[in-house]
Amino acid sequence: MNALRVRAVNQKQLCISGIDPLMAVCLQELPQILELRDRVRARLFPSPTTDDAIANREWQESITPELRHLFVSAGEAVARDLTRLKPTPRNANCSSITFPAAHRSAWMSALNQARLILSELFGVDEIDMNVPYHSLGEAKGVAVIKIDLFGTLLHRLVQRELNSRPRNGRKRPKHKRQKRS
Amino acid sequence: MAQPGVIHIDETETKDALDTPWNVIVFNDPINLMSYVTLVFQRVFGYPRDKAERLMLEVHNRGRSLVWSGGHERAEHYVHQLHSYQLLSHMEKSS
Repeated sequence: MNALRVRAVNQKQLCISGIDPLMAVCLQELPQILELRDRVRARLFPSPTTDDAIANREWQESITPELRHLFVSAGEAVARDLTRLKPTPRNANCSSITFPAAHRSAWMSALNQARLILSELFGVDEIDMNVPYHSLGEAKGVAVIKIDLFGTLLHRLVQRELNSRPRNGRKRPKHKRQKRS
Repeated sequence: MAQPGVIHIDETETKDALDTPWNVIVFNDPINLMSYVTLVFQRVFGYPRDKAERLMLEVHNRGRSLVWSGGHERAEHYVHQLHSYQLLSHMEKSS
């Protein structure tokens, strides 16, 4: 997993390389996991308030369908990108995938959705995330392995963006061209 | 009991009450990555990295954090944004 890397191929494309066979299998399963999103609606589509029933109902009627559409679109973009997953020429044990840089947010959304869906379906809590996989039983253990793997890739994508942002949150000042005297 | 000649007016929502700020609260979630939550705070609110990390740690350590306070419409917009990143959040009237 140490070989896993996200890099820019050019301004329009990103490449995830160093994908080991286990990660590749889990990524291929990603679209099927995302199809289970409606089984965890309470987590993916929470209410905006704790005590305003009218506002919560209006939210469920107007905002939730919009969010669902957003989540579905992100999953579809990633599913299309995943068809380009291929073995690395010089290392058959590793795969790589190149996709449009504009899909980066879709990848983050899809990976995070999958982690949340798995955690809800298998009742994964904070303790489960910090104990050995084998102590959780087969089904939950495998779910936590997938949550961790998707988390590793998500973290790489996030770090790449965090590191590209200035720490103070302001835009970098444009360098003025100095006039030559 | 009401006295004759005295008119009682029920308390109504005053301008002050309407102007009461709304708080946007984010709750801890054992699954969302700390780095991801930091990035979301930067993307949604435009916070600098240090502030985003401080708020993320508050969510992580205290279970919740007040991440923004202000008008109703903006609060609703921010909760919408936070939900689009799958962060557990809601809005509540400031007490």
